[in-house]
Amino acid sequence: MSDLELEMHINGRAVKRRAAPHLRLLDFLRDDLNMTGTKEGCGAGECGTCSVFVDGKLVKSCLMPVGKANGARIETIEGLAPKGGDLTEVQRAFHKTGASQCGYCIPGMVMAATSALRENPDAGIEEIKERLGGNICRCTGYTKIFEAVEIARDVIAGRLSAAALEPDPAGNSFIGNNVRRLDAPSKVSGRLRYAGDMVMPDMLHMQVLRSPHPHARIRVIDVSAAHALPGVACVITAADVPGEDGFGVFVHDQPIMARGIVRYVGEAVAAVAAEDVLTAKEALRLIKVEYDELPAVFDPEDAMKIGAPVLHDYAPTNITKHIPIRKGDVEQGFAEADLIVEDYYETQQVEHAYLEPEAGLAYVDHDDVVTVISPSQNITHHRHMLAKIIDKPINKVRFIMSPVGGGFGGKEDMIYQGMLALAAMKSGRPVRLVYTREESIISTAKRHPARITYKMGLKNDGRITAVEFKMISDGGAYGMSTEGVMRKAAILACGPYDIPNVKIDTIGVYTNNTPSGAFRTFGAMQAQFATESHLDICAEKLGLDPFEIRRRNMMQDGAITHTQQTLGKVSIGTVLDAAETASHWEAGAPGRGESRSDLGGEGTRAPCTLGARFAPAVAKVKKEVA
Amino acid sequence: MMQRKMRGRGVAASWYGIARTATIDRAGAWAELDDGGTGKIVTGVTEIGEGILTVLAQIAAEELGVRPEDITIGDNDTARSPEAAHAGATRQTYMIGNSVALACRDARTKLDAEIAKVWGVETETIRAFNGEIWSEGSNLRMSMEEAVDLCKKRGIVPVGSGAFTAHGTGLDPVNGTGSPWQAYVFGCQVAEVEVDTVTGEVQVLGIWAAHDVGRAINPRGVEGQIEGGVVQGLGQALMEDYQLDKGHTKTHGFAKYILPTSLDIPQINTTIIEDRDPKSPLGAKGIGEPALVPTAPAIMNAIYDAVGVRIKSLPATPEKILAALAERAMRTKGVAA
Ligand code: FES
Ligand code: FES
Repeated sequence: MSDLELEMHINGRAVKRRAAPHLRLLDFLRDDLNMTGTKEGCGAGECGTCSVFVDGKLVKSCLMPVGKANGARIETIEGLAPKGGDLTEVQRAFHKTGASQCGYCIPGMVMAATSALRENPDAGIEEIKERLGGNICRCTGYTKIFEAVEIARDVIAGRLSAAALEPDPAGNSFIGNNVRRLDAPSKVSGRLRYAGDMVMPDMLHMQVLRSPHPHARIRVIDVSAAHALPGVACVITAADVPGEDGFGVFVHDQPIMARGIVRYVGEAVAAVAAEDVLTAKEALRLIKVEYDELPAVFDPEDAMKIGAPVLHDYAPTNITKHIPIRKGDVEQGFAEADLIVEDYYETQQVEHAYLEPEAGLAYVDHDDVVTVISPSQNITHHRHMLAKIIDKPINKVRFIMSPVGGGFGGKEDMIYQGMLALAAMKSGRPVRLVYTREESIISTAKRHPARITYKMGLKNDGRITAVEFKMISDGGAYGMSTEGVMRKAAILACGPYDIPNVKIDTIGVYTNNTPSGAFRTFGAMQAQFATESHLDICAEKLGLDPFEIRRRNMMQDGAITHTQQTLGKVSIGTVLDAAETASHWEAGAPGRGESRSDLGGEGTRAPCTLGARFAPAVAKVKKEVA
Repeated sequence: MMQRKMRGRGVAASWYGIARTATIDRAGAWAELDDGGTGKIVTGVTEIGEGILTVLAQIAAEELGVRPEDITIGDNDTARSPEAAHAGATRQTYMIGNSVALACRDARTKLDAEIAKVWGVETETIRAFNGEIWSEGSNLRMSMEEAVDLCKKRGIVPVGSGAFTAHGTGLDPVNGTGSPWQAYVFGCQVAEVEVDTVTGEVQVLGIWAAHDVGRAINPRGVEGQIEGGVVQGLGQALMEDYQLDKGHTKTHGFAKYILPTSLDIPQINTTIIEDRDPKSPLGAKGIGEPALVPTAPAIMNAIYDAVGVRIKSLPATPEKILAALAERAMRTKGVAA
C-alpha cells in the first residue's frame, strides 16, 4: 500500500506529510510527529487518554484512521497553551487542586474538561461529570478533577478571581502546607515522557509471542523463519539467557520467557526485536512452537487435592505459602462465647488497570552497562535479579525508573524487563517494548482472589472471645508476591481488635490462572472485608450499633496484637469518633435502612439517572428550535 | 411493598502497617545545599503518582531552609542514587521522607557550623526558612544564596547523607509471633448508598473517611490518596471482576472489565487524624494503601442496611443484588405462610 499524502493544521501550524495508511491519528501524532502528550491507554475508544480536538470536536484519536483527519484542524494537549506561555485556566486549575496524580490520564482529561467548558461555559457539576464520562482515571477518584473544572469554569466566566489559581501562602512551615504538586505542570501540559513516549536513535521495537495454553510442554521452538525476515534484528527465547533464569519477589520461580513449560495463557514464550512494530508482529507469526498440552488446574482447592497437576517441582502440593498465626486457645474462647457466628466470604481477582500499559526501553551503554528504563516500582530488587539472570556484575546492570503512569503494586514484578535487556544485548541496539492494553490485562498479575471461612465467638455484650479465620487464595501460575500477600493478610486479618484467642491461616496456591501479585493493600483488603462484614452480622444479632461493637473490641494503647506485638499509642478510638461525628451517624443496629434519620445529609451527592443530566439542556434547545 | 429506591448506611474500620512487612526496611538519600540557595536531593525512587516528589521537596525545603520550588530531586537510578528500595508498601513518606530529612539535617549541620563561625555565634542559634538564614536572638541574617556562597568560599561544600531504618521482625513459622511493623495506622469509613430494587444497581452517595496518617505533610495530597483509594475500593465492591474461563481471560479490555467513571463517584468527605509516629524524625506515617481497605465492607454493610441483603461475594453486581432480593422475598413469604 502506498503512503497517504496528508495535509492538516496541527496546533495552528500547517503540516504536510506522507504517512502509512494503516496509521491511526494517534500513531501519526505520537510516532510520526513525536507529539507524545496524547497517550494510548487502551486503543479501543474506552479510556479517553488519546482525546484531541478535530475541527473543534473532542475525538478519541485511537479510533480515527489518519486519512480521515486529512484536511482537518487538529488541536492536541501540546497546543492548548502557547509554547513558553502560560498554561490555560483548566490546566492551572488542575495544578492548583492536585488533580493529577500519575498523570497518564491527565492530557486526555484536560482535553475533555476543555471541551466541556467550550461546549457549555456554564456547565453545572452534573453536566461536567457526564462530559468527563468517557475518560477513565485510575488514581485520583476524580474528586480533585471535578473541583478543578469548576474552578476553571468560574475563573473563565469571571465569577472567581484568577487568584483562585495561585498557590496557597506558605505560612511558617512547608510541612502541612498544600504545596502544589511540582510535577503537575509537566503532566497537565503533556510534556512528561513516560517510557512508551521515549525514543532513542537506532531503536528497535519488540513484540512478544505468548502462550495460547494454560499448561503445556514446549517440544520445540523454531525461530529460523522469523529470524530470516528482513527487518528483524533478533529473536530471543529462554535459550538465550546466559545466567540463572528466575525472578520473583519471594521465590525465583519465573523464567523471563517460558523455559520448557508454559503455565498460564499469555505467558511469554519468545520475543522479536525489529525495525518497526509491524515487522516484529509479522515475525511472531513465523515462529513455530510445538506444544504438548498438559492437564491444568484452575481452582485453588482442586490444586491442593492429591493427584492434582503440579506446577512447580519444588512445591508438590501446589501450596506457595501457608502463614499460620496462633494466639491463646480458640477452643476455649468458643466455649466461653454466648454467640458463635460462622460464615463464608469471597473476593474476586482484580486488575490494576493503571492507565499506562507496561513499557520499557533497554540499551547497552558505552561502558557495557545493561540499562533498562521502565516504570518499575522496585529498581533495587530488579537490578539484583537481572544481574543474576544475565550473569553480569551488579554494577554492569542499571535500572532507571521512568515516570510511573499508575502502579498500585502491579509494576513491582520484573515481568518484561529481562526480555528487553536480553534483546538489547543480543542486537547491540536500543530496544523498546510497549504493551497493548489487552496484553497488559491478560499477562500481568492481579489482586489475589480470596475464599474466607470465618468463625467468631462473642459474649452477649459484644466482646469477641475467639476468631478462627482461614483464607485460600489463588496465586496463579507463579509465586510473585503471593508469600508476602499471605503474610500481610494473616497479620491484619482480624482487624484492629483486641481478641484473646485467634487461629489464622492464609494459604496461597499455584494454579494455571493468570498470576496474582502485589496490589495496593497486599491482601489486607480481602481479609478485612471478611472481618468487617462479619462484625456487622454479629452486631445485628446482638442488637448493637456497628460503631459500638467495634469500640467494645478495639485495641487500646499498649494492646497486644494478633502476632503478640505490644503496641504503643493506638488511634483507632479517635478515628472511629471522627468518622461517626463527621457522618452524623445515628446509632442503632444494622438493617434499619429507610427508617434512619441521618440519610441524604450534606456529605452526600444527589443520586443520578443516566442521561438525565443533559436533559434540561436538550429540552431547552428543542424549545428554542420550535 | 418495598419502595423502589432504598437507602442505607454502613461502617467499616481498618488497620495497616507502614513499610515492608516482618523485616528490616531501609532507605537512603543524599542532600546538598547548592549554589543560589537551592537544594539537591538524590534518592532511588520516583513518583508513582502519589505525590512523593512534592512531599520530599517540602521536607527538604523545611529542613534545608529553602523553598520547595528551589529543590531539585535526582531520583530513580540504581547507578546514580543511593538505595531507596521499592515504591510500595505505603513506605515512601515514611522511609524516603525520613531519609531525606536526615540527609538534609546532615548538610545543614555543615553549613550552620560555617555560618556560626562567620557570625561568631553558637551553631545552635542558627535557624533557616524560606531562603533566609539567621541567628536566633540577634539581627544577623542573610539569604541562603549568600550563606552557601560563603560556606563554599571557606572550602566547605555543604553535603549530607541520611539513612532511615524501620525495625520489623519476622514471624515465627509455627505460631506467627512477631513484630512486623514499628508504625501502624487506623482508619474508618462510613458509606451511604441507594439501592434500586428493580434494577439491582447500587449508587454510593457519600463516603466519610477518617484516617490516621501520623502527620500530613501535604493535606491535599493525603485527600487525593484517600479519594483514589476509596474509588478503587468502590470499583472492587460493585463492578470490577477479572474473569477467566479455563485460564483464558474473558475481560481483556475496558469494555468488559468495568472501572468506576466520573458518574460513579460519591461525595468523599475526608477527616485527617494526625497521631504522630514517635519512632521517626518526621512523625508522618502513611496513607497510600490503607485508604482503600474499609471501603468495600462499608459499602456492603450499607447495602444490607438499605435492603436487608448481605453480599458476601464481591463484587455486588446488580445481578447478585436482584438474586439476593428475590431469595429474601421467597424467605419472608415462606415465613409468612
Ligand atoms: S480511548 Fe483511545 S486510547 Fe483509550
Ligand atoms: S492521574 Fe489519572 S490515571 Fe493516574
